Amino acid sequence: MIIKGRAISPGYAEGEAITYPEAFSFLGGVDGKTGKFNVRDGTIDGKVFLFPNGKGSTVGSYVVYDLKVQGHCPAALVNKSAETIVTTGAVISSVPMVDCVDVSLVRDGDIVAVDGNKGYIEIKDVEELDIVSSVILVDGKILLLHRPEKAHSYPGKWSFVSGHVERGESPEEAARREVMEETQISVSYPDAEFPVFRVREGNKVYNVHSYLYRLKSADVRLNEENTEFRWISPSEARKEEGVDGLCEVIEGFSEYF
Amino acid sequence: MYLTRDEQAILDGEQGAGAQKAMELVTALGKIYGADSLVDITSAHLSGASYKTIGEGGLKYLSDMVEGGAMVAVPSTLNPVGMDRTRWKEMHISPEFAEKQLRIIELYGKMGIRKTCSCTPYLGDNVPSLGDHVAWAESSALSFVNSYIGARTNREGGPGALAAAILGKTANYGLHLDENRKPTVVIDAEDMGSSVFDYSLLGQAVGMKMGKGVPYFRGIDPTVEDAKTLSAAMAAAGSVALWHAEGSTPEAGNFDISGLEHITIGKKERQEAYDKLNTVDDVQLIALGCPHLTPKEMHDIASLLKGKEKRNKDVEIWFCTSESVRAQCPDDVKEMERFGPVLADTCMVVAPIEGTFQRTATNSAKAGNYLPTLCSQKVKFAELSDLLKVVE
Repeated sequence: MIIKGRAISPGYAEGEAITYPEAFSFLGGVDGKTGKFNVRDGTIDGKVFLFPNGKGSTVGSYVVYDLKVQGHCPAALVNKSAETIVTTGAVISSVPMVDCVDVSLVRDGDIVAVDGNKGYIEIKDVEELDIVSSVILVDGKILLLHRPEKAHSYPGKWSFVSGHVERGESPEEAARREVMEETQISVSYPDAEFPVFRVREGNKVYNVHSYLYRLKSADVRLNEENTEFRWISPSEARKEEGVDGLCEVIEGFSEYF
Repeated sequence: MYLTRDEQAILDGEQGAGAQKAMELVTALGKIYGADSLVDITSAHLSGASYKTIGEGGLKYLSDMVEGGAMVAVPSTLNPVGMDRTRWKEMHISPEFAEKQLRIIELYGKMGIRKTCSCTPYLGDNVPSLGDHVAWAESSALSFVNSYIGARTNREGGPGALAAAILGKTANYGLHLDENRKPTVVIDAEDMGSSVFDYSLLGQAVGMKMGKGVPYFRGIDPTVEDAKTLSAAMAAAGSVALWHAEGSTPEAGNFDISGLEHITIGKKERQEAYDKLNTVDDVQLIALGCPHLTPKEMHDIASLLKGKEKRNKDVEIWFCTSESVRAQCPDDVKEMERFGPVLADTCMVVAPIEGTFQRTATNSAKAGNYLPTLCSQKVKFAELSDLLKVVE
């Protein structure tokens, strides 16, 4: 899949991804002589290094240059939000760099291409799919469905009424269809929708379109796609073992509960 | 970001790889901070001069720049380096370090940068005017020229300032724009004495309280020495790059401060700032001149020392200033040299003092912040006259 970002330092490179989940300081974070990380296992050498943003001493820019001189330079750098130190290090060392990318979607070992001229990254062998997630709200309680143990995605987890957006269908139409198929509840227009967000499962990235339907009453009749349902308060729902993004959706609609 | 045809041509490499690299860096930094265009600058001041801070990576970067034919387009000066160029042995510097340090100065010189290495270039070596756009690194100096002179610069990093110097341009964002020079908070300074040390404490207290932002002071009328000290303290304790003082600094009258939050800094807050920096009493080194001593400070110190003898031989004392100020004050230098070396173009923070000393005294809040982290020192933080009592 391709993730659009912003070009920071020119050049194009491909490599194996290595990630760090927090703000990273090149000074102290990696050994400029060997390329070995001090704050995690592995090496930066030849890798596409993805982390949210830089921090720490401005000397960090020269550490990137040191890595280049010593032959242990990263293939490319990717940030959520670029700042001066990492940007300077990337540009003076001619390392391609892109920012404005949700780096949490990339896993260690992914093969990632970084285009620092056009400003995007591509995660190879990862497919992007649009899915819908519909919250049915009745009397302050929301509907959770339990996915079968043999489901191909998120087996055994609790979710809202969800499914793929089919070809030629809008996400809103997909939401309406999935609610009917999975619960036999008829809904029309949603009361609210939530900005699309992304979650990663295996080699798939889901673009999640979430909708809220407020109903006076609802009679749930499941099809074979789920094994169980439950009406539950939003705060209790957060504690259940849910699919990725469940809590984000609850948070996003919290003003309606 | 809008680039003129000439600027785009540089980015496309039509004026060589060195200029292209500089343009890539200036435009990348401009992009991340939302600049809409580039702006012409009249001068640059570069950090990244000490071998201790930039290391092998920095040295190689500079030699590659020189090899690529990089040359600055505007008058440019350099920050203090890791040693006095001729008296480094008195600073317990190794010959290996000295060789690398001299090489760095040489490389900057080849790019057309004046080999004056000071954190106070505004005292004479590099003096911007009101309204000038400049690209300065060195947090204390850039805050001084923004605030006390009314020039305009962001907090540049070393390579960013060098790139701007090569192009004669920097990205137009942040403190280059009127709207970002407005005060964000009013600081009511109370019970300020006449000592410059009060400005170290005031700056430390404000930096700790507000982090970043543009303070507007009431109740102070700073001299050059006060402004130098205040700028350095706020940039080290926080990241303040611009401040105004009512009735005193050139832009202070341009703003309406009604409705802004007020913070009072009095004796209690200054005491808290003092307690934060003071971590030891008995010291091995007294280091004065952070930022570099002005001619007036040189004279004041020489007057304090006149007729006295150095009694405590175990304590070393360093006076740090710029080469040009040292040359201006020969009589004061003579007086001071009886107590310790008057070192030019270096300081206690960027020199590798950690190989020799563990406990250092300073009257500078800036040094008080950096000595523990950059030099592994415990710090005695006190007024100049108190510090000198140790050796009299």
